[in-house]
Amino acid sequence: MKWATRAGCHVDRAACAWLIKRFVDAEAGFVFVDDPDDVPEDATPFDMRGVELSHHEGNCTFETVLRHYGLDDPVLWDVARIVHEADLADERFDAPEAPGLDVICRGLSMVLDDNAVLAATQPIFDGLYEYRRRALLLGKDTL
Amino acid sequence: MPGSIDWLLLAYRLPREPSTPRISVWRKLGRLGVAKLGDGLVALPADARTQEQLEWIADEIVEAGGEATLWKSRSASARAEKQLIARMAEAIEAEYERVIAAAAEAEARGPGGGQAIAQLRREVRRIAKRDYFPPPNRDAAHRAVESLKADRVGS
Repeated sequence: MKWATRAGCHVDRAACAWLIKRFVDAEAGFVFVDDPDDVPEDATPFDMRGVELSHHEGNCTFETVLRHYGLDDPVLWDVARIVHEADLADERFDAPEAPGLDVICRGLSMVLDDNAVLAATQPIFDGLYEYRRRALLLGKDTL
Repeated sequence: MPGSIDWLLLAYRLPREPSTPRISVWRKLGRLGVAKLGDGLVALPADARTQEQLEWIADEIVEAGGEATLWKSRSASARAEKQLIARMAEAIEAEYERVIAAAAEAEARGPGGGQAIAQLRREVRRIAKRDYFPPPNRDAAHRAVESLKADRVGS
């Protein structure tokens, strides 16, 4: 399936692309557009104004995607807490990892194009997921 | 003479009730450090981040049953723009002033108080994010909080 989002990927879009690829659509391909009107007909848009898979009621798109596809893995919701704070920094959650994740994604988007940002952030989110999975398993905040 | 900065203006209207979305929106705008130009009209200097944040807030307002439009504009008067910038810098200056005072208090209390220090560090980071026109006491505030941290290391 084809997925479309805004060009200039930051943390929420990079995290969503990872989430879609790992948990929704293993065959996912991504296109980047500057304007919502440029979304190809056969693509599912995300993290853009006025689409279903986007920010809603103060949630970031990552949280919306989790809810939309009924993904109830507690580790993903734990990662969502970090993505939410990295993206919005509205202090809804306590996520000390968030400022670091924000800086890493911002920095990558300065030196890589969008496809390369998605490729580079896949292992970062894989690692974040695994770290949080083990931490939750042991009932600890940090390992 | 016209102003020289691109501004984003968010014009919005939200129903008086329920009050929860109104408060949520106002808090978010406050965290972004907007300048209030009038009832339901706020301004921020335009860049990619401020535009994205204001777009999300505009969407949230519409979802809550309100109306919101985002405009990019220039001030027709360089003088008015200068006054607006000074007003924004003063608001941030007052925030940094409070941080400096709190840091002095923590210093006076002596070692310990790791939680208070962590809180001050977070506060300074929060202010720095909306510090579009840095006031003169910016460095002093950052230094005051950093020196607290330095004192505690190894103590």
